[in-house]
Amino acid sequence: MSDRWTISLGRIAIVLALFALWETLSRFGVVNSRLLPSASDTFGTLADLLQRSSVRSDLAVTATEVLTAFALAVPFGGLIGFLIAENRYFADVVKPLLFFAFSIPKSIFLPMFILVFGVGFSQKVGFGFFSTIFIVIMSTATAVESVRVEYLTVARSYGATRAQTAWRVYLPSMLPVLLEALRISMIFNLTGVILAEMYASRDGIGHQIASWGENFQMKQLLAGVVMVAAIAIAFNEIIRWVETRCSHWRT
Amino acid sequence: MKASTLRWLIVSILIALWEILPRAGLIPELFLPPLSVTLIAGFADAGEYGQALLVTLYEVGLSMLFACGGGILLGAVIGSLPRPRVLIMPMVSSLYAVPLVILYPVFTVWLGIGPESKIAFASIYGFLPTMLATAAGIQTIDPQLLLAARSMGATLSQRLVRVILPAAIPTVLSGLRVGGALVIVGVVVSEMLISSAGIGYLISRYRTILDSPHVFAGVLLVLAMAVAFNAAIRWIERKCAIWQTGTRGAQAAADDISGAIQPAT
Repeated sequence: MSDRWTISLGRIAIVLALFALWETLSRFGVVNSRLLPSASDTFGTLADLLQRSSVRSDLAVTATEVLTAFALAVPFGGLIGFLIAENRYFADVVKPLLFFAFSIPKSIFLPMFILVFGVGFSQKVGFGFFSTIFIVIMSTATAVESVRVEYLTVARSYGATRAQTAWRVYLPSMLPVLLEALRISMIFNLTGVILAEMYASRDGIGHQIASWGENFQMKQLLAGVVMVAAIAIAFNEIIRWVETRCSHWRT
Repeated sequence: MKASTLRWLIVSILIALWEILPRAGLIPELFLPPLSVTLIAGFADAGEYGQALLVTLYEVGLSMLFACGGGILLGAVIGSLPRPRVLIMPMVSSLYAVPLVILYPVFTVWLGIGPESKIAFASIYGFLPTMLATAAGIQTIDPQLLLAARSMGATLSQRLVRVILPAAIPTVLSGLRVGGALVIVGVVVSEMLISSAGIGYLISRYRTILDSPHVFAGVLLVLAMAVAFNAAIRWIERKCAIWQTGTRGAQAAADDISGAIQPAT
């Protein structure tokens, strides 16, 4: 227990030291404070930005896009992933193709989404879906494959129904891997949507950050970066926390 | 039908559809120009694309040097020291959740819209995953090898050169693959966002004037680059296969890592 305390104290110390370094570099003029406003100024701006209704509505727009893309990509990708894991022939046909699609950079297809959907909500959701779906497929397939055959045999020989097998065997053994999959898909999804917003958009937090950058508004830009980073890290940590809660189920 | 035959059939049907559907007018040519039109557009402006490719390759090369060099070095150091590893690795992997694209505007303000900002951004973009993969892979080195070396009185430098480095080759290669793919993405994305040269810039410029054959020619060029990079890494992997310590566990672990941490977008 004391070990864990030292570790978290050490981490907090590292983070604080980084912020202190940022603050001193800018305060004492080591770097131009117009290029790197100090940490305290940035956090002040951040608090100010969060009060503004325009920034709030940008955040809401981005959140809607991210959640819609996620809600579309997860069931669809999950279904294909399940098919790959359960059907050998289908897997043999599709898997190399998916590996290929997985390894190529998705972002170069962004102009295509603009040509097809125009600039708007569906373009971002489409691109978010496109950049998430492959990772969902791959990780669902891994999750289903992580179910042990012995458990299935035991369940079947004791006469478990399909629903019972799904609920009592598949779900508990897949849950930790699935949560991990959700976490990673969310990272991809968020990156996809924000990139799409930065590339061509009228609203959304990514668009705001890009335009602050173009107008050399360093305080707002850095505050935006800190804000998005904090949201992403917070989401990641929550899922990780649930993951460790569920890990006693891990087979 | 054999699975691979069906797969090739699917691929050739897709390519044929790319030609047929736009020609038949089922998909507007603005959305998807026929393959032949795309290729002709690409070859007609081969000089322009070649110059853009040179710019992009220069940026990719330099960033790869920074990202993979730094990532592999730091990953190896942190991965082999237990205390910093426990302290820092979880922090680095939480940092991995941040969509790094948002840093690009910061780099353009600091470094301008020339190649410097792209190199800085792509280096950071590729750095974290390379470091994570290397640090995770270093731990898969069979501790018995180290124990044997130590009990026969190998010095630290001997252990590093004779044991750790050869055993780490597969890990380093998978780090290189992940990092390299990300560096290509990073450079092209940053060129697409704000830039004045490179393939990403060409794609964006032709997109704004709705010249889709030229857009798709650029996309194909980037795809070719990514595929060529993958093939090159494969080739090196095969060449180095004799160096692998032969534990299937290590190879599987290396595969796991490169599977878990993959090119974002």
